[in-house]
Amino acid sequence: MGHPKDRSGLTRRQLVLGAAGGALGLSAAGVLAGCENTTEPIGVSGGGISGPASKLVVQRPVGPGGLPLPRPDNAVTWAITPDNPPIKDGRPPEKGPLNVYNYANYIDPVTVKKFEKQFGTKVQIATYNSSDEAIAKLSAGAVGFDVIIGLSANNICNLIAQKLVQPLNHSYLPNLAKNIWPELQDPFYDRGSRFTVPYVVWMDGIGWRNDHVQEDIAGMDVPWDIFWHSQAYRGRVGLLDDKRDALSMPMQRSAMHSGVRPDLNTEDAAIINAAGQALSQLNGICNIKVTITDFQTLPEAKTVLHHAWSGDLLAGAIYYMPKGTPSSVLSFWGPDQNGVVQNDLLIIGRSAKNPVLAHEFLNFFLDERNAYANFVNYNGYVPPQKNVDAELLIKQGLIPKSLAGAVVRPDQFAANQELLQLSIEGERRWDDAWSKFKAG
Amino acid sequence: MAFPGVAWLAIFFLVAFYAVVCVAFGNEDTLSQPVPFWNPLHWNAGYVLQVLGNYWHRGPYLTVSIRTIEFVALSIGLCLLIGYPVAYYTARHAGRWKGVVLLLLIVPFWINYLMRMLAWINLLAPNGWGTRMLHDIGIERVFIWLGLLSARGGWLDGQPSAVILAFVYGYIPFLILPLVVALDRIDQRQIDAARDLGASPFSAFVRVTLPLSKVGILAGCVLVALPMFGDYYTPDLVSASTKTSLIGNQIDEFTRQGSEKVTGAVLTLVLSAFLLLLMFYYLRTTRQATAVAEE
Repeated sequence: MGHPKDRSGLTRRQLVLGAAGGALGLSAAGVLAGCENTTEPIGVSGGGISGPASKLVVQRPVGPGGLPLPRPDNAVTWAITPDNPPIKDGRPPEKGPLNVYNYANYIDPVTVKKFEKQFGTKVQIATYNSSDEAIAKLSAGAVGFDVIIGLSANNICNLIAQKLVQPLNHSYLPNLAKNIWPELQDPFYDRGSRFTVPYVVWMDGIGWRNDHVQEDIAGMDVPWDIFWHSQAYRGRVGLLDDKRDALSMPMQRSAMHSGVRPDLNTEDAAIINAAGQALSQLNGICNIKVTITDFQTLPEAKTVLHHAWSGDLLAGAIYYMPKGTPSSVLSFWGPDQNGVVQNDLLIIGRSAKNPVLAHEFLNFFLDERNAYANFVNYNGYVPPQKNVDAELLIKQGLIPKSLAGAVVRPDQFAANQELLQLSIEGERRWDDAWSKFKAG
Repeated sequence: MAFPGVAWLAIFFLVAFYAVVCVAFGNEDTLSQPVPFWNPLHWNAGYVLQVLGNYWHRGPYLTVSIRTIEFVALSIGLCLLIGYPVAYYTARHAGRWKGVVLLLLIVPFWINYLMRMLAWINLLAPNGWGTRMLHDIGIERVFIWLGLLSARGGWLDGQPSAVILAFVYGYIPFLILPLVVALDRIDQRQIDAARDLGASPFSAFVRVTLPLSKVGILAGCVLVALPMFGDYYTPDLVSASTKTSLIGNQIDEFTRQGSEKVTGAVLTLVLSAFLLLLMFYYLRTTRQATAVAEE
């Protein structure tokens, strides 16, 4: 949900790097104890405050186990319980090996080698293909991962409900306060950064080939309108293949037209269905492709206009430009406010065998130089470091000026919205609208 | 004697299939993960009824199912049109070159399916070699004239024709090989007899060769139909348009992530039930054909 690495498509890079493709087949495992036998889906009615008191508060959506679903206006402090305390101060790091669980190709092997050298240990990385897969495996409890990379705020409720993470001891993480944006030091989804620290950030926007697309997209009143006026680029226009990102795009568009702030985590069936119908119009207008390979197809001009994750454009510019094509042909626009921003997390598994080493690993990747190397040498997604900004990257010749907008700024992060976990009923409404659109 | 076969079937089909059935007739927990109900007495038909209701009300599942049947039928038709003459030539006219011809047919398929499709994506890109060649030799114009291609160089623009052609290219050897075997087995004397009794070459083909190769045709069709019905990566790779979204894509969408994994399992069952009907037809026809051949 909402994560650029939740990719089913095979990419050239994955093939080159010898990584496996999407996970196939049905998992019939994961029998959970205590399930009721009903004919209605479990958990539809949710939870929350009941009785007469419930009339005195505005009801908020609740997640698994009746836990509150974090929202910017409903910040959550997760409790540290006696059965799951943080590690003690001042302990030496363990010998390892450190077990890391991550998306494929989502961390720079050279920077990892540097960590191994510095701490005289080995890092073993196991990979997953989607956040669903990761959570299912973590909750099956098969392996004790020390560090988990790539899950985001929309997974946090599940992680806490199933007690899969351990609280952090900040005395091992001086780089958090030193280097990370103030906006992410004390996030609404985990007040006090008790269980998580941020890894990278990105935003949703429009990527295009400025040598093919004539319109001044960034200068339009409502840039999202370009998709509904893209007849000229029929067959070469793309939409992100992710229900939350894709459906929230027409929501942003219509909110921009009427000058209101959209709720991109809405559970209102009317708004969700209207978004699905708006997307369906694009079938006739430009026979829209639903893909997440824009980081490759835009550089190769197989698509010329694409709903895109900011990191894809940066990765495209750094890795995927064909010989003879300058990266300045790529442009990106992302909204300053009311759009989609996301970040993902570094967390320590509850059953970590090397908790001190795991803290050192987190601190290592919060270090300015290591985070920067991981970003520009491999990952392409921006770390929320105080000293990384677009000006710097342009000055170093890493990205063209036309992609300055793809480097998320802290003020954008604050004024945009994260796509967060919904109640089961809400999730189902998004799923239904999405499957209707995708059926064509 | 049948034990290895039975064990194979039990381990790799029945157990797996039963698991899918139990998921489809199960429920979901509060994390939207499927909870299979292993005891048939506890089965919950709610999700199955929901999906059947969607079909009944002509919802999106019906749209993709009909589209899937159309695409597969057209692909098989094209496979036969191309594959039958190739198989016929290989079995009956290639003579001592038969082995070489068969090898040449199979060699390209030593390369992984996905790699071949990815290669075609580059060949058929707007500036790809394949696109330029198809333009130069006029095939592109024919396709545009037939309404099978919307614009010049637009092979990958989300065309149903591209998906069907990719299916044909991807699966045709599985149709050709059983056909070669069936055609090879036909007793030359039966055809000679037909000719001696005054049948023209064409009439001998229609009245003798074609009926005798029916088993091979059916076996080939089954072999290509089964993977095509479940295919979702081919439309994803060569089109990615919602206009070419098949039942496999819907199942993939539901089971890979999101809150409706049980619905994905139900759609898998619906597809299996449909394929089971086709299999019964296949078994009945082959039995009849074999009986006729033995008479």
